[in-house]
Amino acid sequence: MTNSISSEAIRSRHPGSYQGVALVAASSVNYSRQSHHGAAWFIGKTLDKILKATGISKKEVDGLAVSSFSLGADSVVNLTQHFQLAPRWIEQLPFGGASGVIALRRASRAIQCGDANIIACIGGDAAFHRSFEVTASEFSNFTIDASFPYGAGGPNAAFALITQHYMAEYGAKREDFARIALSQRYNANHYPPALLGHKTLTEYQYLNARRIAGPLHLFDCVMPCAGGEGFLMMSEDRARHLNLRYCLIAAADELHNAHAEDEVQFRAGWSEYAVSLYDSAGLAVEDIDILQTYDDYPVISMIQFEDLGFCAKGAGPEFVRRTDLRFDRSGPEKNKLPHNTSGGQLSAGQAGAAAGYMALVESIRQLTGQAEANQVSDATHAMVSGFGMINYDRGLCSAATILKAGQA
Amino acid sequence: MSNKYTRQARLKLNRPSLRERARPPKQRTSIGHMFTTANYSGVLVMQHCQQCGLVQYPSREICQNCLDGKLIWRETSTTGHILSSIELHHSLWEYFKRRLVDAPWPIATVKLDNGATVFSHLYLASFREKSLENLTKGTDVQVFSHSDSSLNSVLIAVCATCDIAQLKDRTTIAQAMGLTAAAIKPGGI
Ligand SMILES: [Zn+2]
Repeated sequence: MTNSISSEAIRSRHPGSYQGVALVAASSVNYSRQSHHGAAWFIGKTLDKILKATGISKKEVDGLAVSSFSLGADSVVNLTQHFQLAPRWIEQLPFGGASGVIALRRASRAIQCGDANIIACIGGDAAFHRSFEVTASEFSNFTIDASFPYGAGGPNAAFALITQHYMAEYGAKREDFARIALSQRYNANHYPPALLGHKTLTEYQYLNARRIAGPLHLFDCVMPCAGGEGFLMMSEDRARHLNLRYCLIAAADELHNAHAEDEVQFRAGWSEYAVSLYDSAGLAVEDIDILQTYDDYPVISMIQFEDLGFCAKGAGPEFVRRTDLRFDRSGPEKNKLPHNTSGGQLSAGQAGAAAGYMALVESIRQLTGQAEANQVSDATHAMVSGFGMINYDRGLCSAATILKAGQA
Repeated sequence: MSNKYTRQARLKLNRPSLRERARPPKQRTSIGHMFTTANYSGVLVMQHCQQCGLVQYPSREICQNCLDGKLIWRETSTTGHILSSIELHHSLWEYFKRRLVDAPWPIATVKLDNGATVFSHLYLASFREKSLENLTKGTDVQVFSHSDSSLNSVLIAVCATCDIAQLKDRTTIAQAMGLTAAAIKPGGI
């Protein structure tokens, strides 16, 4: 049968320290439901915003990490000529919602080893008329042959099956998922670039929305859109020298295609390294001031609460009932955990691979005090989690990091 | 008439939603086409590793267990149980969009007794309860392949006691589901 990776082997492994690596210049650009611009435009505008925010010139950028579903015939190296950059380190991370954290891990090592000094990490995607249909129908070889032909529901179908199973197994109700979606909408109401930020969402609207697939209704699904998300990575010394506001990496890890033996996905790789993540950071769950999960569907955020140690497996529904997930901790619940503070993809929109950078970018903004109306007060540590690539019946990628505010 | 206008008109006429006949997704990988061909002459045919015997699905190049490169298309057991089942109310594909006008489209993930996990169309009418609520995890089913109206082999899950031994029984089911015919838009182009 399929070999499953021994948990023992994974737990005994701690990634090396990320000491001395800084994240700066959180930039989100041009979220729009549809656009005639291609991916190079969104990635280029993100780079432009990063450079203008830091005063760093194109010449000084010697590393470029990119993620995009819509580059067509191009890869990251083609983009160097579009933007006339001459990097000595390039990386492309086609890992959907886990791309940002994986880019952070790769770029950290390049900086620590001196392979590059200033690395731009950018996720950007276009949204042409009907382009989402094309992406969904050709997502992977297994998708093409063995899942898309069955109703062509795209990721909605795969996640409806996972959500249905989770609800039956752990007693989660739609009202529990509503708590995640509603508090994120509240956060989006304080983050103007969020595409749905100008609209409120009530539990009644959530519960009675149009049915999409199985237990999923309209507000369980993200709105595909165009946009870009990015940041710069450099040494802490350099960030200080340049007088830039920065944050640091306390720990990071990733694991892919974990738990292949699970018949239906109810967990992902996080469960195997969450403990080591807190150990490496010298922190406990209670020290996390902000949690940003990958929220392509509420159930996957709930699974992350469990796998990342905020509650036990299966206790996600109970956890969200007693936890205030709003950015300003204004809810009545006693337990506070600002979560997906810019509204997440559910309320801000899913800009393709940029969605895999969104949570990181928002966390850098928060920890450097550069968020605006949705600024979380007294936040020192943010946990960011990525999840991606529904290759067939489950998401394969998992990645997570703990960031901490740098000294001002 | 400007070029821009004719281009827009042409694009408009080319919209799948305006076509008379819509069919299920035709696209497959080359291995997916081999799955279709192998299933033309069987109830359910999947790849078996010649070295370790493991049944492979989705179809692939290399054994997922022992990495042996020789996988043999052979009949496999049709029995299994439901892992999760849902009704689709929304689809990205015109054929299913048209079918959805009449009723939601049920699908399931099924764990076959041969070890493979498959997505399948779910023939609700074959079950005594005829509703999804009772098709919980563990419900016994049979899965067989049949060609759809794009001439690809697709999998259909039916109740454990249905008669599916004869091709005509299986074809009757596929026809009843509407899978063997295009979805017609009256007055389409
Ligand atoms: Zn084998």
